[in-house]
This record gives sequence, C-alpha cells and structure tokens, in this order.
Amino acid sequence: MRFVIIGGGIAGTTCAEELRKLQPEAEIVLVSEEAHPLYSRVLLPHYLKGKVPRERVFLKSEEWYGKQGIEWISDMCVVKLDSKNAFVELSDGRELPYDKVLIATGGDLQTLSEDLRGVSYLRTLDDADHLLQMIREKERPLAGAVYGGGFIACEYINLFVQEGIQTTAVFRGPRFWPRVLDAESGTLLNARLAAMGVTVMPETTIERLLGEKELEGFATHRGTVACGILGIGLGIASELAWVREAGIEVGKGVLANEYLETNAPNVYAAGDGAEFFDTVVGHERLVGTWMNALSQGRTVAKTMAGERTAFRLVSSYATNLLGLEIIFVGEPDRSHADEVLVRGSAADGGVTQLFLKQNRVVGATIIGRNADRMPITKLIDGQVDVEGMKKDLENPAVIL
Amino acid sequence: MATYRIKVDPDLCIGAASCVTIDPATFQLNDENKAYVLDHGTEPGERTYERDVEMTDAEKDNMILAAQSCPTLAIFVYDEAGTQLFPEL
Repeated sequence: MRFVIIGGGIAGTTCAEELRKLQPEAEIVLVSEEAHPLYSRVLLPHYLKGKVPRERVFLKSEEWYGKQGIEWISDMCVVKLDSKNAFVELSDGRELPYDKVLIATGGDLQTLSEDLRGVSYLRTLDDADHLLQMIREKERPLAGAVYGGGFIACEYINLFVQEGIQTTAVFRGPRFWPRVLDAESGTLLNARLAAMGVTVMPETTIERLLGEKELEGFATHRGTVACGILGIGLGIASELAWVREAGIEVGKGVLANEYLETNAPNVYAAGDGAEFFDTVVGHERLVGTWMNALSQGRTVAKTMAGERTAFRLVSSYATNLLGLEIIFVGEPDRSHADEVLVRGSAADGGVTQLFLKQNRVVGATIIGRNADRMPITKLIDGQVDVEGMKKDLENPAVIL
Repeated sequence: MATYRIKVDPDLCIGAASCVTIDPATFQLNDENKAYVLDHGTEPGERTYERDVEMTDAEKDNMILAAQSCPTLAIFVYDEAGTQLFPEL
C-alpha cells in the first residue's frame, strides 16, 4: 500500500504518524510546502511575545521523518491530482503514484493587492520571523495598524500593545466576527480595545497603501492613517484549482463526508481546508483549529488504513483579546440558528450567545464568561433538548 | 502502575481544550480558561496545575497523547525519578 499525503501541517503529519502505527510496511510519502519540519502555528504568538524560544515551536525534528520511514518531500507543492490514474504531480515535475491520497493543504491567506516593507502576514514561522525582525528594527515611537476582525487580528493587537506600539484596529464589519457576534458582544470587544488605548475603526476598508518602499500609512474612505507597520488578518481562502480539475467537489474547501472521504475514490481530505460533514451540528463546514486538524489526521488515517471511522468532535476556538477571553464552541455562525439565547451583557463584562436549531444547542460564543464553556459544550455534545431550560440559559446568574 | 508528575504551565495554556477532549479524567478547564490537573476525575486537596498521579500504562499513554495534542506544549510530564517524559528534550 502506498499513501501520499499532501500537506505537512498537523493534519497531514498526524495522519502519516498514525498510518505508520497502523501499517508498519506501507509506503508513506508526505509532501510539504514548508521547508521546516512540523511546528506549532499556535505557538507562534508565544514565540513573538518572547514566551518561548524559537526552537520550542518545533514539534518534529528533520530526523524524525526518516526514523518513521516517512518519505518527507519538503519545500514542494502539488500542482495536479489525477484521480482516475491515481497519481499526483509535484511542482518540480515529478509524478507520485498513490493507492490512497490525503489532501491536507490548509488554506491560503487572503492578501492585499499591494505590498510594502512594513506589511505583515502571520501564518507561517517565516512570517513570524519576518514580523519579529520588523518590530526589532523599526524606530520608536512606532504607530501600527491591524487590518481584520478575527483571530489573527487579535494576535497582532495583543503583540503590538505588548510592544508599546500605538495601535489602530481597522476592520470592514461593524465589529469583530460580524457573522458570529451580536452587537452586544461587539460592544464588549470594542470597549476593551478602546480601554487599552487601541484606536478602533470599524466599517473601514483599506483602499491603498501609502509609501514608496517603506510603509508610511494607508488610505481609507474615512481618511488616511499613518503607520509604519501593518498586520493583516483577513482570514483564509482556498482556490484549490488543482483539486477541482481532478473532479473533486469543492465548496469553501474540499468537500468530504463524515468519514473525510471526498467524492473521488481513494481521495480524502482533512484539516483547515476540508469542508466536512460535521455530525455534531448536522451540516458541512470548515473548521480551522489545531484540535480539529489533529483529530481529523488521526481519524482519517484509520479510514485510509481500512478501518472506516466517522469523525466527531465538538469544535472550539479559544483566544484572548487584551485579557478578554473569547471562546466559540460548535457552529458559531448565527445564520445556522433558528433561535439565539443571550446570557449577560457588555455592561456586566461578559456575553454568551447560545445558537439553537430545533431546540438543540448547536453552537455558542462565550466572551468573558469562561465558566459557561464546559456546560454548553456538554449540551452541544449531548444534543440535549433545551425547551424547558431556556429561562435558566438566559439568566446569567444561574450557574449552568 | 507508576506515578507521574503532570504539570500545566498556565502562562502557556490558551484554553484550546485538546487535553480535555482526549483525557477528561486528567485535565479540565478552570474559570480562567486554563487546564488544571485531576487524579482520575477527582481533585484531592486543592485545585492545582501540578499533581502526582498513579496510572496504568494505558492511562499513561492516553495522558501523554493529551499532552502531545496541546498546540502550545503547555503540559509537562515527569516520571518518578524526575525525568521529563514530555515534551521530549
């Protein structure tokens, strides 16, 4: 049996590691766009803030792959997948035949159309090295801006504030995560930003960058903003043209069922780029968390090795914005809910939204109310009918 | 059976909850959204980030799996002699 895994992140590497345990004799090839062995992208903010040294972000050494009998092809892309003749083509022209193949390529960053020195993205270790170098080299006092209203924007803001950079937060919606958070939750976050000295510019789009080679600022319809460093966190988008051309169904990601099987035989998908059928919430969705990617890598390895296994996980995101804990559990997109219950308020310092579908909690957002997390996770996991519990769920004084 | 010292560094923990998902008898989240350490689902003494726990090999393997799944490597595991088992040095 010959397995080819496309993507050397946590989903792909975990799958390779599990396959080796399940099939000691199999050929396993892992193709990675990264030149580095596996590292934790979740540790990059800790590295940037000086909490851990650079060497601590690595989860595998270069020698690990060989010791596991995994052929590791690094710094390489897949440009074509032929699902009829069962081979993939690499960017150097090589063709790799497979018996089973996993697509675990994650997502591509959404970028600005322009680039200047001072503009930063934060996805890879190389991005983090570049950002750290800029922060060290830029003269102080330094004005910085963060563009975007999601997880990466939070990381930039936390870092810039720690570094004493005078920070402006610019985002296109009225608040962070506009499809997820209600106005009350948004008020809570915007108030925290303002209280910590961050200038908040909601409903603002960057129209163009200012400066010749070095960033000097940017123009918006509200006027220009001067800054020497600009962190971009606009989310990910995957083109996946090579996957579509292989006849594999693609939506927002590579479409897969709960077994992480695509519509093409012997082709599987896992990780940030897999739009899989989530049995917990009852529809197909993308989930971009470490735990999701790791668990999918582990589960899909079983299926690829012949032990067909459904994937099930109550997904959760957790981050922190200037000391305020932000947690999403299950499906946090409000459009999937037919009813929303709210606990707490911005004035109380914490807001929890519970998203219900046919009286069952399918998702929640929890800001500044950490104690709500585990009981709500249990309600989602158990698909509990909450018809008789709604008054308690809406009462922030009731401990769940 | 052997005893393992299990320690969570709350400064590194971001509340990703991967450890809780894999080994809820050993890890739970507190109100700070940080993982703390239990002994087979119980909390003898006070709630703590560090605890010595006696485990079977199977329990130890699952606990190590939970530690390995932590995206910030915030969980440290030592054997009775004080040798660090995870993260591997």
